[in-house]
Amino acid sequence: MTRSVAARVADVRRLVEAAAAVYARRARLAPRIARATGLTVEGVDLGFESLEREASDAELAALVAGAGDASHVHVILSANVFVAPLRALAVARGAAPRVTVRPSPRDPVLATAIVEAAGEAAIRLVSQRDVAAIDADVIHVYGRDETIASVRARARPGVVVRGHGAGLSAAVVTSGAEVERTADALAGDVVAFDQRGCLSPRLAIVDGDGARAERFAEALYERLSAWGRRVPRGELSVDERSGAERWCAAMWMAGRLWRGSAHAVACAPADAPSLVAPPGRHVLVVPAPGPDAVAARLGALGRFVVSVGSDDPGRIARLVPGHARLSALGRMQRPPLDGPVDRR
Amino acid sequence: MVRAFERGDPMPETFDALAADLARFQAAHVPGYGRLCAASGLDPASIERAGQAPAVPTEAFKLGRVFAFDEQDATAAFRTSGTALGARGTHWMRDVDSYDAAALAFGRAMLARGLPPAAPVLVVGPSAAEAPDSSLAHMCDLFARALGDGAEPGGTFFVRRGEIDLESLRGRVAALRGDRAAVVLATSFALVHLLDALRGERLPLPHGSRVMQTGGFKGRSRAVPAAELRRAVAAAFAVDERAVVGEYGMTELSSQFWEATLVDPRAPHGVYVEPPWARVVPVDPETLAPVPAGDTGVARIEDLANVDSAFAVLALDRVRRTAGGFELLGRQPGAPPRGCSIAIDELLSEPGPR
Repeated sequence: MTRSVAARVADVRRLVEAAAAVYARRARLAPRIARATGLTVEGVDLGFESLEREASDAELAALVAGAGDASHVHVILSANVFVAPLRALAVARGAAPRVTVRPSPRDPVLATAIVEAAGEAAIRLVSQRDVAAIDADVIHVYGRDETIASVRARARPGVVVRGHGAGLSAAVVTSGAEVERTADALAGDVVAFDQRGCLSPRLAIVDGDGARAERFAEALYERLSAWGRRVPRGELSVDERSGAERWCAAMWMAGRLWRGSAHAVACAPADAPSLVAPPGRHVLVVPAPGPDAVAARLGALGRFVVSVGSDDPGRIARLVPGHARLSALGRMQRPPLDGPVDRR
Repeated sequence: MVRAFERGDPMPETFDALAADLARFQAAHVPGYGRLCAASGLDPASIERAGQAPAVPTEAFKLGRVFAFDEQDATAAFRTSGTALGARGTHWMRDVDSYDAAALAFGRAMLARGLPPAAPVLVVGPSAAEAPDSSLAHMCDLFARALGDGAEPGGTFFVRRGEIDLESLRGRVAALRGDRAAVVLATSFALVHLLDALRGERLPLPHGSRVMQTGGFKGRSRAVPAAELRRAVAAAFAVDERAVVGEYGMTELSSQFWEATLVDPRAPHGVYVEPPWARVVPVDPETLAPVPAGDTGVARIEDLANVDSAFAVLALDRVRRTAGGFELLGRQPGAPPRGCSIAIDELLSEPGPR
């Protein structure tokens, strides 16, 4: 390690400060981000609230400790949620004194803005698409599993490739939860980024019987309606719309469905598998009578679960897979800046 | 309809009339289907044409009951191989009579035409006893019993505990009489494994033999282009390429679709034909309306042999109508998703055919 931990933390902190500067002029960026992401301008505004503008020394020290050590990290970004480039850059900067980054061609706005705001020679934007030509000793690649596999296959011999793949998140509503307040907090997590992030909950596990799950599902539907009036959903792609149609039809068959013009909530029976909802403000609610049933539901998500939110995180901590982040509902999109969001 | 087809008689009722009857019956007796009709704003009593009835997505078979009888009356359950999240679709059946009649009638017509009775049937797959919830194993078992020479299971099924028993297969092929054409039934991935195991060795079958290949490869073997696999299979078994016939079926259906290369000298590979009691309609993935002629759409499969479950099923495969049948174009490719939330198709993907 040629840089001290303190130096690395300072390097990362300057990126956070750059992000704060970008946040300050977010109104100018919002229309371009909206065009690139399909979010509404209101959706972009909401998404900006998840951009990290501050972090404690302890959080950044944890980020640096897990970032690894390299002389040059090259970051390949996918069209992730639009605030994700900051964390990706921070992890790379924590690892290496030299960082190059290839923004997503479909959504380059925030990555470009942060790098420009940072104004450091150590961090450069590049457009190199030929993986075999990348001379970094470590590549951080964000995207689908096949993208990561493709980069691994084409990287130069000896280059370490760290992949950050796709995933999903779930919510657990404990037996003590107050339904309306919990539904509202969960709705906020769902609405952010139109549910396209791996921190976006697509499954809500309600500790209780089917009737309680239905009450929660109906409350969630109402809260998503209210959120939708403040933050309208953006445009879904054809694939997203067709996926939603299929899922809704399957849910009509399986249980109850509450469907609005831009969101839907389904409630499936306790013995139905967790056919998690597609992105685009859709949530599957399932009953799970007791902690064992909750743990079984979470366990069934296997390697795909990135984070779990709950009205009472402390109470369910022992039920959550070790690799998953645990957050309070309403804060699922804002985990501390202590490393990659995805700890799998 | 099946009996009329076997006799070569005209169909006793129109497709639409039977489909409308089935849709009304299923709306009344499959609770979820009644809800789906209601959600579509459709009064089942008003259905006059098959296309009016909503199709049941295959995902619904993973979630709950898609059957029109009391659970204790089920005598068979065919299951899909399971998604990335472990959910398996189940096609419950009150009995397998309709399935067997439909499969056998069309299978005889498309695969066994001109085949003498009691032909040797060699299945490069597990027996129904070893894979009791596989509809494909059931169909192969049915074909072996109905078309075959009565060989013991050991001389019919050549995959045991997931491994190809090459020695037994070699012995069985060597013992075939030269004047008795044989039938080989196999999945595409099993054929790839077999070819790999043979390493260029040939297992020549008697003149007039034919090979059924079905399903894809996903995750179970290396993927081989269809034409290349067909050529290699034809060479390995010393049969004409046109005698290597593709079959397309799904756990959620009771009918199958076949390439017509054995029965129509002009029929190309890659085009599947339907029996008179089933049809495949490419539909827009979002509106679910039929796409214009020649366009690609998601397969809406109307199968009148699915009496007790869902006569209209919305598959995940893309299809295109063409002269004489339909082309199977695989899964909806999907644009790269905007975000790191895992795509629904990745969660729903299954490692192989039924």
